[in-house]
Amino acid sequence: MAGASSKSSVPTLVIDGEGDRLALAGVLGIRTLAQARQALERWRKQRKPHVLDVGKLSGLDTPGAMFLCELRDQHVELAGVQPGHEALLELIGGLPRKPLAKPPAIPRWRQLVIQLGKGVDDLWRDSIDIITFVGRTASAFGQALLHPSLLRPASISRQIAETGINALPIVGVMAVMISIVIGYQGLVQLRPLGGEDFTINLVAISVVREMGVLITAIIVAGRSGSAFTAEIGVMKAREEIDALHAMGLQPFDLLVLPRMIGLIIALPLLAFFADVMGLLGGAMMAQSLLHVAPQQYLERVRMSVEMRDLFVGLIKAPVFALFIATVGCMHGLRVRGSAESVGRETTRAVVKAIFLVIVFDALFSVFFDKVGL
Amino acid sequence: MSAARAKHAEPILSARGIVNRFGKQRVHDKLDLDVEAGEILGIAGGSGSGKTVLLKTLIGLHRPDSGKVLIDGKPIDTVDAREKAELIGALFQQGALFSSLSVAQNVMLPMREYTSLPISEQEKIAAVKIELAGLSADSAAKFPAQLSGGMVKRAALARALALDPKVLFLDEPTSDLDPLTASGIDELIVQLNRGLGITVVIVTHDLTTLLSVCDRVAVLVDGKITVGTVDKLARSHDPWIREFLHGPRAQGAMNARRSSHGIR
Repeated sequence: MAGASSKSSVPTLVIDGEGDRLALAGVLGIRTLAQARQALERWRKQRKPHVLDVGKLSGLDTPGAMFLCELRDQHVELAGVQPGHEALLELIGGLPRKPLAKPPAIPRWRQLVIQLGKGVDDLWRDSIDIITFVGRTASAFGQALLHPSLLRPASISRQIAETGINALPIVGVMAVMISIVIGYQGLVQLRPLGGEDFTINLVAISVVREMGVLITAIIVAGRSGSAFTAEIGVMKAREEIDALHAMGLQPFDLLVLPRMIGLIIALPLLAFFADVMGLLGGAMMAQSLLHVAPQQYLERVRMSVEMRDLFVGLIKAPVFALFIATVGCMHGLRVRGSAESVGRETTRAVVKAIFLVIVFDALFSVFFDKVGL
Repeated sequence: MSAARAKHAEPILSARGIVNRFGKQRVHDKLDLDVEAGEILGIAGGSGSGKTVLLKTLIGLHRPDSGKVLIDGKPIDTVDAREKAELIGALFQQGALFSSLSVAQNVMLPMREYTSLPISEQEKIAAVKIELAGLSADSAAKFPAQLSGGMVKRAALARALALDPKVLFLDEPTSDLDPLTASGIDELIVQLNRGLGITVVIVTHDLTTLLSVCDRVAVLVDGKITVGTVDKLARSHDPWIREFLHGPRAQGAMNARRSSHGIR
């Protein structure tokens, strides 16, 4: 370092010598280290060097010093060391220079077993946590019915604004898009059968019964579920949750409940909005592809969609909301220590929430079919 | 030291007319600062006096509203990435270790990006840097989340040293550390400065570090900077500097300085 060339040009190293005496000149540093090693190997093949003259080195950095110290350990004498370099050699030579510790390698099969065990353990903990969360929410609801003053209307309304009102544009656009997609696919399939008018029934029924609420739940899981995990997770990582505990406050009551209640109120409303927007998308599709006027379209929708279809669609919304909020908050509270953990838990929460939404949607379909709705 | 300084007539780092504004507040008001090669310069100032912003300006992470920073004679924004990596090493306040990499991988990252050395060689160099920073090679496999506060700073220091930079910037290297660990870091800074001939710029309000480690101290008060040796600053008439260097907390640090200078 001391006196190393300040030019940005590539440093050079010159090696020559005769017999068992070698001389280095130029810069011995991180960029010339590979060259130095090669040259030394070549010399070694011919003859074992005993003395290395380093008096003409114009620059020496820590990797270079490490190289010289290794040689010194192999009983090569360093001649003509400059005083500036001597301090560096002493500093590096004084270190233990142990090889890096490496994590022990685990065989593939054991890794598999470990993964499997962890997966089962995760599943078990998840089930316990979800049951606990749902139970605590139910008991909190019960308490709120007895003592409505315990609820926090300000937090709840903020959550409704955050998860509901702010999501209106994206949910609306997605609902319109999805009904156009269904419309196109239906039209292509039904036209050869001469039943292209039934595309309207198809769009209306599938939006109102399934797609409206499903698409809303998936957007909300990605939007608000992840936000819940990240918000609560950051609070956990920054010890804010511990601060609440220390004040004798329950994070569940303060952070989890408002989010749950807020989402349980907001998601059905959002789903209804998605239904309306989906039907609007259907109207656009009918107008442009089937040349059906909006009035006629509405008439068709009224004939094909019954009140119970709307009910079947919307009854799922609070259930999905409960799952999304539970999974989001639960993973937020699972954050440990670092910021990296926030990212990991957020990913898990979103994946799990969407998974649960779709699984329960399928279960609902089977259930409604069995009871004849 | 004096010989090394005489050789480099021009400062390795110089800032000219630095102005930084946040809204209407002028944090830096036409600052000039020279850092001589081979010295340890401390930058001190009250909370919110713009120490960290000044450091970021000097590293080139923050573009000042006006003024320029020259490193090794070149404007900092014209220095290319590789050259910058070889000129500058930085230790951030929280360590800023990459949490998904182990200590060894953190230290090896700059080497992997900027050199074509074989992995085995990089590992050897990384081991030396880690030991140089005062960690044992056994902790190399650990991840940042498994390290204590002092170890994080040392690991981050090892990474900052990875390419043997000419100037080492340290942002609050001893904050959040217990006094013993902090004085260990202080000793390490001096050792690196003497052994590697590295220029060190420390931003800190740790009086002990300022008084016992730094050759010169730059004090930021009201957007202006006053530079000098501690003894010179102690005779300053500025009320903040007087209070800072003569207050109750300064007395103990002054004693420590006398004893450490006696040893040197």
